[in-house]
Parts: sequence; C-alpha cells; structure tokens
Amino acid sequence: MLRGMKAVARARFSRGRFALLMPLALLPLACDASASGGSDADSITLYTCVSDESVQPIIEQFEADSGAEVNLFRAPTGDLNARIAGDVRSGGLKADVVWACDPLTMQGYVDQDLVGGWTPDNATDIPEQFRTDDYVGVAVLYVVAIHRNDEPAPSSWSDLAGADYESVALPDPTVAASALGALGWFDQNPEYGLDFYATLQQNGAQQLSTPDDVVTGVAQGVYQAGITIANSAYLAKDAGSPIGVVWPEPGAVAVYGPIALANDSADSTVAQDFISYVVSESGQQVLGEAGSYPTLPGVEGPEVPVDAPVVYPDWPTITDKKDALLADYQKIFGG
Amino acid sequence: MASRPAGLGRRSGVLAVGVVIALLVVFPVIRLGYVVWTEGSGHLDEVFGGPGLGEAVTNTLLLAVAVTAVAVPLGAAVALGLRRTDVPGRRWWRFSMLLPVLVPQFVLGYSWTQAYARAGFTDTVFGLPWPSVLGPWGVWAVLVVNTVPLTYLLTAVGLATRAEPDLERAARASGAGAAAVLREVTLPLLRPSLAAASVLSFVLTLESFAIPQVMGTPAGFSTVTTTIYRDLSLGSDPLSFVEAITLALLLVAITVLVVVPADLWLGPRLRVNRVADSAGAPIVTPRGAAGRWIAGGLGVYLLLGVIVPLVALVTTAMTPAVGVSRSPANWTLDNFAAVVNSRTTDALARSALLALIAATLLTLLGGCVAVLERGRAGRAMASLVTLTLVLPGSTLAVALLIAYGRWIGGTLTLILLAYLAKLWAFAHRPISGALDRLPPGELQAARASGAGALTAVRTVALRPLAPALLAAWLVCFVTALHEVTMSSLLYGPGSETLAVVVLNSAELGRVGLTAALSVLLTLVMLVPALPAWLLIRWLRSPRRACDAAPVGRLSHAG
Repeated sequence: MLRGMKAVARARFSRGRFALLMPLALLPLACDASASGGSDADSITLYTCVSDESVQPIIEQFEADSGAEVNLFRAPTGDLNARIAGDVRSGGLKADVVWACDPLTMQGYVDQDLVGGWTPDNATDIPEQFRTDDYVGVAVLYVVAIHRNDEPAPSSWSDLAGADYESVALPDPTVAASALGALGWFDQNPEYGLDFYATLQQNGAQQLSTPDDVVTGVAQGVYQAGITIANSAYLAKDAGSPIGVVWPEPGAVAVYGPIALANDSADSTVAQDFISYVVSESGQQVLGEAGSYPTLPGVEGPEVPVDAPVVYPDWPTITDKKDALLADYQKIFGG
Repeated sequence: MASRPAGLGRRSGVLAVGVVIALLVVFPVIRLGYVVWTEGSGHLDEVFGGPGLGEAVTNTLLLAVAVTAVAVPLGAAVALGLRRTDVPGRRWWRFSMLLPVLVPQFVLGYSWTQAYARAGFTDTVFGLPWPSVLGPWGVWAVLVVNTVPLTYLLTAVGLATRAEPDLERAARASGAGAAAVLREVTLPLLRPSLAAASVLSFVLTLESFAIPQVMGTPAGFSTVTTTIYRDLSLGSDPLSFVEAITLALLLVAITVLVVVPADLWLGPRLRVNRVADSAGAPIVTPRGAAGRWIAGGLGVYLLLGVIVPLVALVTTAMTPAVGVSRSPANWTLDNFAAVVNSRTTDALARSALLALIAATLLTLLGGCVAVLERGRAGRAMASLVTLTLVLPGSTLAVALLIAYGRWIGGTLTLILLAYLAKLWAFAHRPISGALDRLPPGELQAARASGAGALTAVRTVALRPLAPALLAAWLVCFVTALHEVTMSSLLYGPGSETLAVVVLNSAELGRVGLTAALSVLLTLVMLVPALPAWLLIRWLRSPRRACDAAPVGRLSHAG
C-alpha cells in the first residue's frame, strides 16, 4: 500500500504538470505555425546556399518592384541537400526556386526531377558556358592564385608547382565545389592533369578545408601562396591583409552558381518573374554591387584585372566521373 | 486497497511517456531506417565499402573512449576537490568550471585554433605555436574541455544529493584514512552519477560534429559525423543522402550496443535507496597547502582551456584583417557591427522563448523517465531516449522533417520537437543519477502526517532533487539557446533562431566576422546563465536547508 501511495504521488506529479504545461507551451508555437503556412499566389519560397549579403539585396529589390513576397531558406550546400532530401520524403520540395552554388549540386536536383525544364527568355543573354536547358548561371566564383606580398607572384598555374614555392595551400575539393571545379579543369587539361597536384604535393603543398582557410593561411604567412576564390581574396586584401591576387595563365577557373525553377511550381509566374529578374541586367547589377561576380557580360562586379584570362571546366564530365576523380585525388592528398 | 489505482497510475504514466517516446524517438528513427531499407538496400556494400569509412569509425570510437576516460575522472576530481573548504575562492571556481559549457562548441573549437595554431595568438605574441591543435590531439583536448563541465556538474549534483557526510565522518572516526573513505564510502555513493556522466560523455563524443569539423577536417582527421556531412555536401543525389543516413544509423547501432546493456544490467545494480536527508554538515577541511594546489590547478586549466582561446577570439574579432598585427592601434568594432542587424533581436527573443519551453518540458520529461525507469515496464525508456541524442543534429533534423514536415515543416514547433528529441537524455541522466535519494518511506510519512499529495511531493521529493532538476534545466536551456545545426536546417519564415540569423549574416570562414559572432553568441549565453546559477546557489544555501529541516525530522519519525 505504501508503495502504491508513492506511485500515486509521483504519477500525479508527472502527469499533472505535464498535462498542464504542454498545451500552454505549444500555444504560441502553434499560432506561429498557422501564420507561416504554405505559399499563396503572391509569395514564393527560395532555397539557396548563396550568402545573405548577396541574396538579401536581390530579394529586397524584387519585392519592392513586384509587390510579391520571397520566403528565404538559406543554408550551406550540405544542409540544403539534407533539407531538400527531407522535403522530398515528406510531401515534396517546398521551394519554388532553387539557387545553388555549383552546377554539380543543381544537376543532382535535375536528375531527381525536382527542378529544371524551364529557363527565362533572357537566359540567352548569359554566355553558353554558364547555362543548360534546365538552369542558368547567375553568379560566378573565380578560382585564382594568391601569394604573400613578400613572395614572388606566380604568373601561371604551373609556376605554383615550381621550385619557388615550398608551401602552397589549396582547398579541399570534397568541401568546396569551387575546388572540385578547379580539380575537374586541371584533370581535363592535358598540360596539367592530376600530375599537377602530385607535383604540388611533392613540393610540400598542404590541403586545407575551405578557400577562406587558404586566404587566412597565406595572409598569416603560414604559406607562401595558395589557390582560392577571388571574392575571398579581394575582401581580405582590401581589408589590409598582406596578399596579392593573380589570375594565372591559362586562366582563372570559373565555377558558376545556377538558378532553376521547381517542377511543382512550373506555372508560378512569381517564381518565373523572380528568376527572370535575377538574370536581368538590373538584377545582375544588384548582385554585382553586393559583392558577387555577375554572369551577364558588361555588368560590373568585384575587381577583375584588365584582360584577365578565364577558363571553364566541363561540368557534365565532372558530374560523370566525380567519384573516380576524387578517389584519384585522395591518393595524392590523403583524405 | 490503494494498490489498484496506484498500479493504474503507474501504468498510465508508462503509457503516456511511452507515446511521447514513440513520437519523438522511435518513429523518426524508424523512418530513417525505412529510407535506408527502401532506397539503399542494394547499395549497402558501397556505403560500407566506401573509402575512409573504417578509419572514420575507428577514429570516432577511439575518441569517445579517450574523451570519456579523461573527462569523467577529471570532472569527478574537480567536484571532489571543490568540496574541500580550504580551496581559496571556492564559490567562484564552482561557477567558472561551467564556463566552457556556456561557449558554443564550434566557438570553443574555433577559438582554440585562433589561440594555438600556427600564426595564432600564442605564436604571434610569445612565439609558442602548437601545430597539432589541428588534428586528433586538438579535437580530443577541446572535447575534454567541453565535456569536463558536464561530468563535473553531474558529480557535483551527485555529491549534493547523495553524499553522506555522517558516514564519511564515522569512517574517519573509525580510523580510515582519507583515501580509504574516498574509496569505500564516497565513490560507491557516487556510482550512479559517474555512470550517468560516462554514458553522456561517450554518446556526446560519438555525436559531436562542430569540434571535429573545425579542428579535425583541415588536418584530414575524419569522424563518422564529419563523413556524414561530407556525404551531404558533396552530393545532391539520393544515394549520397542514403549513405549519410546509413552512417547516422551506424552511430545509433553503436549506442545500442554500448548503452543498452549498461542501462539494463548496470543501472539497477548501481542504485541504492538512501535516506533523503543528508544528515550533518560537510566535513570541514583544515587549512592546508592542498587547497591552494587545487585552486592553482583549476586556474591553469581554465586559463589554457578557455581564457587564452577566448582572448585570442576577441583580439581576432577586433583585428580588421587576417595577417594584420593584433596590436591595440589596429583595433576596430567593424566586425561586430557587421554581424548585428535588425533581425538579431527578434531572433534572440524567439530563441530565448524556445529554449525556455524546451528546458522546462525536458526537465519534466527527464524526470518522468527517471521515475518510470525504476519499474520493469519503464526500464528500456532510458536507453531509448539516448538514441536520438547520438543521432547527429543534421540527421535528426532530417528524421523529424521526414516524419512530421508534411504538417509542421518550417515552424518553431518542429524545431521544439527536435530539441526535445535531441536533449531528452541530457535532461534525464542527471535526474536519474540523483533520484534514488528519493526515500521510499518519506512521502508516505508526509501524507500520513496530513500533507496533501502536491505538498508531499514539493517538500519531500523536490527538495533533495532540486539541484539535479536545476542542473538538468540549465544544461538544456544553454544547449537549446546556442543550438545551430538543427534549427538552421529546419527553420522557415518567422522561425529563424538566433544562431540561424547570426550564422547567415556572415558567410562562415571570414575570420574576423566568425570571431565577432562567436564572441556575441558566447556573451548571450552569460546573460541567462548568471541568474540561473545564483538561483541554484540560493536553493542550496544553508538557510534553505534549515527551513526544510522539520520535514526531514518528520521523515525520520515516519
């Protein structure tokens, strides 16, 4: 009997409080839930991995011009993939527009029939290297070389593998899509191939994680030179970091970030208008002013040296042989 | 006569908590398993034959063992050391021991790299770098620093609720030395708390992501969680996703293999029912050199583990660009201005509300499981709620999205459910470690003496459990407030948490901005933590103990 009394007291305590608090606690959240329900005719949802400082000005301008509302979900590519995979398995993709940071990721969504099949009429203004029938590139990352100010500037990519540089830093292609694009281009170019990476490694090059880590390492003087992306390099340089930026011969590797319409939103004019706006001259100008390199020729972005050479990796080939390419690369630079 | 409704009460309690466990833990995990079963059953050999997986699993297991083997004894030693009355500044040390837990994990990892790596703070100021900070040793060291506050807290709670100063005094009076008292009296009483600390430390290391990612990945040191993230980042195709989920379920399987036998077999054997009223004041230690040594050791530990990294972080945040000297002439607040915007305050309020509700519900849920696991029907509950703790945040978020996203995707409710699922074991273990202080006879005695059921629970059960309940609440609140991974994957319009807004405002990787937002996230933690800690101190103060003394005497009469 005594044990029974104790149990009653405990059970009352646990269930009584629980029953009392649970609805109270969930009330404000439930209100929140109903307020933020699905998208109506004048609002769309955008999924992207593009940084806030690039995407927010575009959204603000589009909302001001069109009167429509853009709900934003922004996350790094890994989280974006996870969210989309979760969406797909719980009723379908919740986005009307997807703006990815590299063609490889976007092609994966196309292959799952989530996005694609439509590009805006003004997409033809964008150079052919930056678009397919399913998506169109709206921003570019340029893979460039940087060097510490007290070290010689490389003039070509092959200089980095020469005797002048004992410590070169490069980003991890399993972490950064820009690094994967560069790996793909070097692999496709007979003058370089994976031997380029092997020579770098033999000379003492270090693989770091992200392009930003490379900028940090070179600016701090831990490495003499490195391979990174132009935005990150110029930001550090302009803030006072002691580094120089080089667009080496035969060219900086261009990796574009494409935008695409979700299949389930094929008839959404707001979603189509948004994509057309980002591709348009005014959208590209906003993007350029926000610190991204636009894809539309003639629109100014961050710094580009006069006559800077640019090369373009072949993304379909990279998509096809990604696993083998990375496996070969990892034989050189560990894992 | 009373036994029938009581049995019913317990059974309906088991049923109610069982339903919540089924919704929060079992169903999401089964959904993940179903995805692997239907989409990946033909590819499992590819997943498990993938390059580097064996190494990642070995690294993860070694790390979990190595962190637990050091963090648990260290945390226990600190808790026992701070029991000594001759440690100068004892109260201050008790608070500052919890500092590392207030610093978000990725901030702690990041600040260590800023402090000790090549070209870091100690290198530029003293010419003393520690290059291995990037790699397994650095990951291990920071995980230990991050885990010790928790093991310390659990042991201190164990001491507060379980210690028997009179037994210790009796042993000393009978001629036992200090070591013998520790071995024969104090440590055996602490066993449930130490077991809880070991389980949490092991599981938390298995699921840790931010620290291995920040400090291990750049050096090529991979764990299961960093491999999962790489799979998700590298491929948007379904197979990469299935690979990631399979690896996450592998962590669940490891937990099942390690934790379930420990809970089922060891759990009941560790518990002893003791009288709640820990009679007598703690033993007063004569002033000696030992106290000063303990204080000195703690000082060095905090200096190297937290203070130097945080100073490095602040100087990094105030330096305009990488490679520029850290001297005061160059200091600027630009980086701070860049990470604070109008959405930050909204998000802060939202995060605080979310953390408040989550911590309160978690303390209740944790208490329920701690009570029910004593019965045979509820025994598996403790192990079950540990399964969602070990799932990496990204995977658990996806599991809940798949399970409930159809109805509540993008809402704060889904984020709350994720917090409850993730942190349930976090709340349960500290309470469980202290609960067997709840004396069998005292509640009945209180009721027999005329106290109502609520009064009996409040005065008899809650008082000895208060430190454990508060510790559980505090740990859950702080963790929920600076949670990053799940909320940044689950948020939608109007449900951005603080971490989401702050992390999105600056692309991580730009050193100055990352450092500035790390400093801000840490400062935000200190605001609620200080009053909570003062509350714990007040509850444990001697005056309160005296107020409650009549009930204690009553229990002896019963």
